[in-house]
Amino acid sequence: MITGQGITKTFRQRGGVLGGRDVRALRGVDFSIARGGAVSFIGESGCGKTTLGRILAGLESHDSGEITIDGVSMTSLRPRARRPYFRRIQLIHQDPYSALNPTRTVHQTLAAPLALRARQTGRAKGWIDERAEELLGLVGLDPGHVLPRYPHQLSGGMRQRVVIARALTVDPEALVADEAVSMIDVSLRLGILGLLRDLRERLGVSVLFITHDVATARYIGDDGELYVIYRGQVVERGPVETIISAPVHPYTQALLSAIPVLHGLEVPGGQPVTPAGALEEDEHDAGCLFARRCPFATGRCSAEVPVLGRTGDIPQEHACFHPERRSVVAMPAGRA
Amino acid sequence: MPVTPSATPGRKSAPGVRIGGLTVVYRTPAGELPAVSGVDLELPPGTITGVVGESGSGKSTLALSLLNAVQPPGRISAGSVEIDGLGDVVALRGEELRRARGRHVGYVFQAAQNSLNPLKTVGKQLLDLGRSHGVEDLRALVREARDLLGRMGLDGARVLDSYQHELSGGMRQRAGIMFALVLNAHLVVLDEPTTALDMITQATILRIIREVHEERGLTTLVITHDLGVVAEVADRLAVMYGGRLVEQGPTRQVLSDPRHPYTRGLIQAIPRLVGDIGEARALPGRPPTLATVPARGCVFRERCPLRMDVCESEHPPAVAHGTRLVSCHAVEAGAQEHGGEAVAAGAREEQA
Ligand SMILES: Nc1ncnc2c1ncn2[C@@H]1O[C@H](COP(=O)(O)OP(=O)(O)OP(=O)(O)O)[C@@H](O)[C@H]1O
Ligand SMILES: Nc1ncnc2c1ncn2[C@@H]1O[C@H](COP(=O)(O)OP(=O)(O)OP(=O)(O)O)[C@@H](O)[C@H]1O
Ligand code: SF4
Ligand code: SF4
Ligand SMILES: [Mg+2]
Ligand SMILES: [Mg+2]
Repeated sequence: MITGQGITKTFRQRGGVLGGRDVRALRGVDFSIARGGAVSFIGESGCGKTTLGRILAGLESHDSGEITIDGVSMTSLRPRARRPYFRRIQLIHQDPYSALNPTRTVHQTLAAPLALRARQTGRAKGWIDERAEELLGLVGLDPGHVLPRYPHQLSGGMRQRVVIARALTVDPEALVADEAVSMIDVSLRLGILGLLRDLRERLGVSVLFITHDVATARYIGDDGELYVIYRGQVVERGPVETIISAPVHPYTQALLSAIPVLHGLEVPGGQPVTPAGALEEDEHDAGCLFARRCPFATGRCSAEVPVLGRTGDIPQEHACFHPERRSVVAMPAGRA
Repeated sequence: MPVTPSATPGRKSAPGVRIGGLTVVYRTPAGELPAVSGVDLELPPGTITGVVGESGSGKSTLALSLLNAVQPPGRISAGSVEIDGLGDVVALRGEELRRARGRHVGYVFQAAQNSLNPLKTVGKQLLDLGRSHGVEDLRALVREARDLLGRMGLDGARVLDSYQHELSGGMRQRAGIMFALVLNAHLVVLDEPTTALDMITQATILRIIREVHEERGLTTLVITHDLGVVAEVADRLAVMYGGRLVEQGPTRQVLSDPRHPYTRGLIQAIPRLVGDIGEARALPGRPPTLATVPARGCVFRERCPLRMDVCESEHPPAVAHGTRLVSCHAVEAGAQEHGGEAVAAGAREEQA
């Protein structure tokens, strides 16, 4: 179980002609994922998804808030003592091309961390090759074919599987998959998604899934949770299916309305929401952070800050004063 | 949508484009290998055509051919690209070619987000472009650029004053589109215009592409690996696989009733936003590379559920089926085509 509470992070950017400015990448995010659970983050570019993923993988510090791993508070530990905990949370990079060392064969890529693992756990040398083959089998690759090859001799989908296999060498408790399928060709994408789902079900690995493509969040398993992030804040949170079919926060609705409609196969949702203007992170806002772009904003929205929680009979959590279900996503043409 | 005044003066009409028998090869250690093979494609004047295909299928190579801009070790080894008002660009050389680029054909390169010069402001690069094309009224050019950026939802003056690193991915992409349009080109080629952008920014850019296309009377070619993108913007859709066009036709028809086994597999493999997630099924196997594309027979046969003996030896010619062109031996046979339709209809009923 990994939890985060009130996580904040501000970057000081040194801009060119615009001068320096502070970017509040995360403004107090609460978060929790059970063993074998699945949590997906969606939101516009720059909303803080990668920052959150990196903090949870121990690759980035945070300013305030608390992270616990299996009940142990990370903030209370010295950096050295934290390391073994964070090693159990592995980040899978969005780009399988740059994530692998081009001068190393797959065998070399896997053997190095496995050798370390063997030393830590007092295993014999023979275990290393055995385990490498086992891991490749697990990610659906043929060890005989793949082990002697260099990254450029593999397809994008195969490379991404190798990256995942490498992450598994340390027996992680959780994988943070940051846009891990967006660079993969459509015809190979379902395979990687199925693999993540499999790792959850068979090994109890938790999956933190960062994506632009909301539909893919459904494929890492039932019972997944979706977090919608806007400007460093969670604005809606709940079961993936609920949020896709009945979103209540206008920002979620705007995000889902923007998904291309496969005209001919699908018909557009009935109540699309278009936000005004573009994301401007440095805008100073009182009240709701989305108010400036929200088509449903009222006076209250710019005066008070809405807090994430449940209201009325709405099953998911949201941070909006005027939540209303809207049907925004496209439907299969046959069903319309 | 109001027509911007700048779009009307000197209004050229949208050109038609006819690509015939186009073959582009790259020199590799294993000899010259085709990345684009015998492609026939017509872009009717005033339409938006989408070319969709997976990584390495030859989309960017095809797009570069429209400008005769394939770089060594690649070369156009056969075929023609006839553009109204320009003639066959494959035959153009030197200065003629340079003038045609920009003036007649606007191009937004793949990864336009990283193709701006990092050492010069966008405005400085605009002036360079204007001078290199002999634009006399540079003020008007800047005004035009500002207008274009403005209607793409940006603060034009600020963008022109900025360096690349001061702009977000979506802003750079829009600056790229501005560069493609600012010299008033009427044939516009956009290679992966929204890749790496988030959904909201993507939706904005796609809306802009459609609007500008209509306002200015353009002929537009959009290259993408994302079926959703073509579904949103394109009137016509061409599907590429292993350097070949396997199917083309009106977008909605191709999406609702795909004929080629690859098109079917591709559509089926899209993760679904609603309904049963099991409706999406992976396409077995993986896309070919330059080295593994079969030289004879059908390029898709390794992954094709309908493969027959003839597919090993004979390349399937493109055959017209109404408004559709399909290259497949199985679809060619009338009975099979009927069977295919029945299957597609059955699948739709299952979904309903
Ligand atoms: N190292 C850094 N220094 C300064 N600013 C940063 C740094 N890392 C991220 N930021 C800023 O923090 C904000 C959040 O960035 P982050 O990468 O987490 O967004 P994201 O949601 O992952 O976006 P994308 O979808 O584009 O990947 C952005 O405004 C970004 O510019
Ligand atoms: N300069 C080059 N030298 C050798 N081969 C090349 C070169 N450029 C492209 N190719 C090969 O030609 C084929 C087609 O490449 P192209 O870039 O046109 O594909 P694409 O469909 O645009 O792919 P992507 O979706 O990845 O952009 C690929 O197999 C590629 O490896
Ligand atoms: S609180 Fe107000 S401004 Fe914010 S999302 Fe809800 S309606 Fe819009
Ligand atoms: S020509 Fe043959 S192998 Fe190719 S798509 Fe048609 S049936 Fe399949
Ligand atoms: Mg990110
Ligand atoms: Mg390309």
